Formats: sequence, structure tokens, C-alpha cells
Amino acid sequence: MHGPAALQLTSEGRLKHLLTTEGLSKALITELLNTAESFLSSQGQPVKKAPLLRGKTVVNLFFENSTRTRTTFDIAAHRLSADVVTLDIRTSSASKGETLFDTLKNLEAMQADLFVVRHSAGGAPFFIANRVTPNIAVINAGDGTHAHPTQALLDLMTIRKHKGDPANLSVAIVGDVKHSRVARSLIHGLRGMKCPDIRAIGPGTLLPGDLDHLGVRAFHRIDHGLAGVDVIVLLRLQKERMTSALLPSEREFFNLYGMTEDRLKYSRPGAIVMHPGPINRGVEISNEVADGPQAVILDQVTNGIAVRMAVMAMTISTQQDLVS
Amino acid sequence: MSLLIEHIKIHSPGGPLNNQTAIGIDQGLFVDPNRLQSPDRLDGKGQRLIPGLIDLRAHLREPGLEHKGTIGSETLAAVRGGITTVLAMPNTDPVIDSPAAVRLVLERAEKIGFCRVLPTAMLTLGGKGLQLSEMAALVDAGCVVLAQGSRPFGSQKIEYHALKYAKSLGVTVILDPEAPDFAGGCAHAGYVGTGLGLPLNSPLSEVLGLGTDLELIEATGVRAHLSRLTTATAVDRIREAKARGLPISCDVSLAHLLYTETALVNLDPVFHLERPLRTEADRKALINGLIDGTIDAIVTDHTPHESGAKLAPFPETETGMSIIEATLNLLLTLDQNDELPFDISLQAMTGNPAKLFQKPGFGQIAFGLSADCVLYDSTKPTHIDSSHWISAGHNSPIFGQELPGTITGVWVAGKQVQN
Repeated sequence: MHGPAALQLTSEGRLKHLLTTEGLSKALITELLNTAESFLSSQGQPVKKAPLLRGKTVVNLFFENSTRTRTTFDIAAHRLSADVVTLDIRTSSASKGETLFDTLKNLEAMQADLFVVRHSAGGAPFFIANRVTPNIAVINAGDGTHAHPTQALLDLMTIRKHKGDPANLSVAIVGDVKHSRVARSLIHGLRGMKCPDIRAIGPGTLLPGDLDHLGVRAFHRIDHGLAGVDVIVLLRLQKERMTSALLPSEREFFNLYGMTEDRLKYSRPGAIVMHPGPINRGVEISNEVADGPQAVILDQVTNGIAVRMAVMAMTISTQQDLVS
Repeated sequence: MSLLIEHIKIHSPGGPLNNQTAIGIDQGLFVDPNRLQSPDRLDGKGQRLIPGLIDLRAHLREPGLEHKGTIGSETLAAVRGGITTVLAMPNTDPVIDSPAAVRLVLERAEKIGFCRVLPTAMLTLGGKGLQLSEMAALVDAGCVVLAQGSRPFGSQKIEYHALKYAKSLGVTVILDPEAPDFAGGCAHAGYVGTGLGLPLNSPLSEVLGLGTDLELIEATGVRAHLSRLTTATAVDRIREAKARGLPISCDVSLAHLLYTETALVNLDPVFHLERPLRTEADRKALINGLIDGTIDAIVTDHTPHESGAKLAPFPETETGMSIIEATLNLLLTLDQNDELPFDISLQAMTGNPAKLFQKPGFGQIAFGLSADCVLYDSTKPTHIDSSHWISAGHNSPIFGQELPGTITGVWVAGKQVQN
């Protein structure tokens, strides 16, 4: 292992940062998911308060805008009783010419325990984790087109809850895989969970050229790609894919790849439909499927809070043990 | 004062003195050792003497970028790498596009430089690719070739006019093949860059750019040198173009001979280069291009930076590597690894680049030529230690390594500059 995958683990294989799902073992992912489930009440909602991070300071460093991810990290930290500081860097120091490195050193001096980082440059959380003083945990909340590991973990949690062990499942990811950090992290996570059949479905302009290397089969036709799958993961389509001439129109995308009730029939009966949100109705998904019984999209959001609680608790606990 | 270097083995393949055991130096030139009268004597103790290396692409950073390096620091670094002649790139701040700026570089080199510095200047004003620079005046001021410093031309038509004008003056040009549409990205569009989520650069950027350059070279007849090839396809295209008789030569950078895209796995910004590291198949094709003569020269593309330039997430760092100081050691490494025979890499950093200036006078050890040479012990490795690094740029991937060969003496025009 190299880079982010290596840096996030201690020599004993414990999680001290979460930078990527690449290289995470099935045992470690399972431990994370079990911890996340322990934060869910019997009604399936995240517990309202746990004292695990009392006295700890979590700093949300968002260099790129985000509403949902930031909110769920906020909620997760609060529920663990941490003090939370949220910095919208776009409107503060970075616009005054302060470098990321200097921002970081300043925050470190303020005795933070955990950084949650979102950044437009792939590798930025790795850079931070590499440079911060030991015993500050770093959680990647999305970097460039590189990784979004907590999203992948909440997806795995949702898959496991509804369909069981991914080692027995076929999973199809539909849409803009090429520009998606969600897709990359989910692929690594599924491979870690020994999922035997991972597929990517989309036009050539939206699939990366080296899916073989990631252990993923590429499909340009959705009927072929969906045949017999247990899990369908739709990705959000960004408007700039049209302006950069990768796609003609949203309408054409929906006509070729939009998830409709008819298309759902290609998959295995009872297959679930997931989406990292926010969904574009009539682009990636029809109203009927979005509001239908096979969609588990809102469940993903709920699981997102529990997963983020688990990741925060686990990384801070590892860092504490490293100190003592 | 004359000097006799004896008990050496001269290694200047194809030259008249190859395998000789002594050489004389008098008044800046190589001379017959038997004709020296009471010279100083230097016992070479069986070491090898090679012609001084010529680097067709290095950034010496003056004027304007002295926080990254100076002509003093970087030419001393060059000498420590066995280089006695450096072609200085024109992308300084301001860029070299006026006779005054050319003279400034020459004067600084004269005053504080340790090796021969040959200035280049921009083909277009300000390097902006829009208006032609005063090429004749630049050559008069001392420019040996004109370049565009890897900045794009405003249009293909402007490039065509620049090449045509250069041709009419008999000026050689250096071009950096790149299609502006496909430019950008900090990683090769392969599995490593994709996996790391880095902005990608397709090989098409080089191949399409090269296609345009070759057509315009053919149309204008200009003598052109294509710099820093990175792809196997480009090597094929150059081979075909040379077979057609185009007046071209080309080079590859040391980094592209040594490393591939996999060097990026740890996101070390030292490997963030202006032209990305590509696949192992590309690297092999570049080496084979040197072996079969398609590629003429090896350049260091030495690009020193202050530490802050590399202190950011990988895509946001500045590009380039500081490498000139270990040039000879790295050529010997490629030889030791059975990848590129030293005779070929030596030719690619001596005789071949010398041809670009169309005035043979160095690049070989022969009586009557400028006494530019390097004495080194091939049996003794060098430990590359950052605390002994002379270049102002510590953006180097080789610290802590032990590389073959130790340089014990460097002479430029008969004057010993390093021992």
C-alpha cells in the first residue's frame, strides 16, 4: 500500500485517519459498519447523544461548498458530544492569500483533535494528514475526483442492511463514474468487502479508461449492465458535463440511462436503488422509482450520520491510544 | 599554465582519443600531452575522463526568480553533475525576449557562473505567442536558439509565421509539442492518476501537438528541436518524420527515463512535472528511441523551486524537479540497471546536443577543442545528501540514495571549476 491508503493505518492496521476506502480490509470495514449500527436506535435512527468525544474539538474544514455532507458531519460530531467549529474557508483565510499549510498550522495551534476536510484538489486531505502533528485525526469529506470514503461506507452500510454481505452481490454503478469520487470510493469499498461483480454503466465519455484495473466491468448499454444485479447506484449528473461536450443533453441521458420502472425490471427482483443525492428527477431517476419501494435513498442519509459518528469515534480513539 | 592529466582512461566514444591514457590542456584547449613543456601534472589514478556534458534544457531562474535559484547556484549544481554547458530556458520573470535580457544572462553567467551558459530567448514577445520577437537582434546578442519555453502559440498560424521567419534567418528553434486544447492536468491519464483522482493529461496532448509542429516544420523547412518527448507514439512519429528527411532533432528528460506514473502513488509533489510521467511502455519506448537514434539528446529539465512551491496538495504545487546535480550519477544508474548503455547516454549529452549549435567546439575530447571535461571514479558511489546539495531547489527525488560514480574534477575551457 502507498499514499493515502498506507498513511491512514497504524502499523497494527488500525484506522487513525480516514482518507480513502482503498486498501481497507473486510475486517476493518465490518468493524466500522458494526460500530455505526451500534449508534442506531431500535427505530433505526442515530442515537441522540453519546459522550464519546466530550472535550474534543472537531474542526470542519470545507474548502469546497457542501450542505449535506457538512451538516451530517456536524450532527455526527454533536451527537458524540464534541465541540464543533465549522470553517467555510472559501470566505475566510484562503481568499486572503493564506496557504493551506498556514491555515492548517494555525488550526493545529488551536488544539483541534480532528479535521474533517473537503477540498477540490485530489490528495488535499492526504497532504494535511501528512503534515499535521501526530494525534490529530483527518477525515476526508471529499477531495477532487479522488475519494469520498464516508459516502462509500454509508453506501456499504445501506447495502449490507438491505441485501446482506456484498460478497454475494452484483452491484451496478450508473452514470458519470469518470468524474465521481463517490464511485471510486464505493468501488474500492466493494472490493474490500470482496464483492465479486462490480459494473459501471454509462457512455464512453463518462467512464474512466482503465476500469479493468479497478476490477470493474464497463457497460454502455443499460439493459446489459443491469441484468441480474442486486444493487443499483445512481450518480449525480453535473450540468458542466453538457457544457464540456461530454453529453448532448440531460434528456438524452435520461433516455439512455435514466432509472425507470421498466429498466428496473432488468435487475434481480427486490434490487435496491441508491443515490448519493441530491437527486435530479427526470435526469438520473424517474419520479416513480425515486418514490418507489426499491429506493433506499433517504435511508442512506440516516446511515450517513451513524457512519460518520463511527469514523470519528474510531479515528480519535486510535489517535488517543497512539499518544498513551 | 598547462596541465597534464595522466593515468586516466579517456572515454569519448567515436572520438580520436578514445581509450588514451593522458591528455594535455593548454590555453583552454585539449592538446597533445607530448607537446606540453613542464606542465602541472595530475595523477588520474586510473579514473575515467569524459567530455563535459551538455544540457539543452535547464531553468537557471535569473532574472526575477532568484528565490528559486540563481545562475551561480544552479551552474555550480550543474558542474557537480558533470555538466559544462547549459542551455538556459527563457521562462524567467520577465521572460527573455529582448537583447538586453540576453546580455544580462550572459553577463551574470560570466560574473557568477561556473559553466558555459548559452541563453535562449522567446520566439514571441513576452512568450505570449502573439507577436514575433526580434529574432535577429536576439541572435546578435548571443542567443544560440529560440524557444517558446513550453508556452503555447496564440494560433497555429502564428506558430507557422514564427517558424517561417526563424527559417529565413537561419535560426534553430526549440518546440515543446503540446495541443493547447488537451494541455493541463498533473497526471498521466492512466490507472494511477485516475485512482488518485488527479486532473489528467492525455497522451493526445503531446501527439496532436507534435503532429502540428511536424507539419509546420515541413512546411517552413525550419531547423527544429522537439523537446521533452514523453510518449511511445511521439517517438514513432519522430522516427517516421526523420525517415522523411525532416530537419529535426529531439530530446527526452532524465525524469522520463527514470520514472513512470507509478511514482505518483505517494502524491509526492516532487513528481509533479510540467509533462507528466507516463507508462512503463512509454518509458521503454523512450529508452529504445535513444538506442536506435530516434531521440538525439537527454536533458535534465532542471527546475529548482523554493520549498513553498511544493508545500501544497499535489495538483496545486508548481511543476518541475531539481535534478541537474546528479546528472552523471543518474546516467551511470541507467547503465548499471542495464537499461541504457552509458555510451549512448553520453553521446546524448555530448556529441549530439553539440550539433544543435552548428559550431562544433565542444562535446568531444579531441586536440584543438575547448577543454571541457569531467574526471570521475566509476568504482566509488556518491551518497546524495540534502545537506550537501548545492542547487537552491531541494525538490529532488533522490535524497538519501547512493548512486554510482563520484566526480573528482570538472574543467570548463581548461579551467578547473570543481574538485
